[in-house]
Amino acid sequence: MLPTMSVTGEVVWENRMITPDRLSRGDLVTYVSPLDPTRLVCKRLIGLPGDVVCVDPTGTLAPSTEHVVVPKNHVWLIGDNAAASRDSRVYGPVSMALIKGRLVARVWPLSQFTIFRSNFSYID
Amino acid sequence: MVSTLVWLPTGVIFVQYFYTLKSVKGRSMQPTLNPDSSPWRDIVVFNRFAIRVLRQYERGDVVALQSPADSKLVVKRVVALEGDTVKTLPPYPDAEVRIPPGHAWVEGDESFHTEDSNTFGPVPLALIESKLSFIVWPLQRWGPLHKHFAPDPAAPRNHAWRAEKAAMEREQWRNSRITVADK
Repeated sequence: MLPTMSVTGEVVWENRMITPDRLSRGDLVTYVSPLDPTRLVCKRLIGLPGDVVCVDPTGTLAPSTEHVVVPKNHVWLIGDNAAASRDSRVYGPVSMALIKGRLVARVWPLSQFTIFRSNFSYID
Repeated sequence: MVSTLVWLPTGVIFVQYFYTLKSVKGRSMQPTLNPDSSPWRDIVVFNRFAIRVLRQYERGDVVALQSPADSKLVVKRVVALEGDTVKTLPPYPDAEVRIPPGHAWVEGDESFHTEDSNTFGPVPLALIESKLSFIVWPLQRWGPLHKHFAPDPAAPRNHAWRAEKAAMEREQWRNSRITVADK
């Protein structure tokens, strides 16, 4: 998740009392990895149900022209550091039943306290 | 009052991580659960320890999982695990599917009244939350689910004999559709 979160580790505040269908694009969410049920991972939410997303704009994991519609009750999740991330580009849309929480703020180190807000800007 | 406060966390931990009682609704697991002959909903014990702590996923287990399509808890049977190849049933678009890592193929026993992997595809193992260990109610089917064997051909061919034979044939048909991955 570079550059949002550092490799050395930090303490974040996670809200686990969420309703997955109230999430919005740009949220940082935690979910159990579909590849390994023992791992909790954190990625950025890119697509909500019904959205059309480009699987991989760089064309490394899928042709850059390939687009999919995110199915009902699923979301599209991508790591910020795309080169070192296994995410929806690998395993496709993720069921909302796997989502555990949403990151609210970074609380440690104190000098880098941040409230995570959506970094999405929409183009008309 | 104090003893309630002491035992409440123990009870919560027990139900969350060990065993829990649930009643099964709907006909997707007929005739294993809720057969038409039964006027009640089945009440069964689910084992969470084997799934949440031991992570034992086995083909043929009846499991409770959250449906990826609507996040509701459903009861299905694990047919195939990662690496296996399954011959799918309609309405699945492909004739055969190879189960990706960390996923399982789940199906209801009554293939006409079930929404299972044939509609939503392989499910992540993380959605499986417990496996059925035994039936509590109704009392005539009390006990764990057993493996089916060919009934004795010399035995009287009554209702129980035919039910056993049908169950075994269903199990064979289900197993004939999967190619188990090499270890």
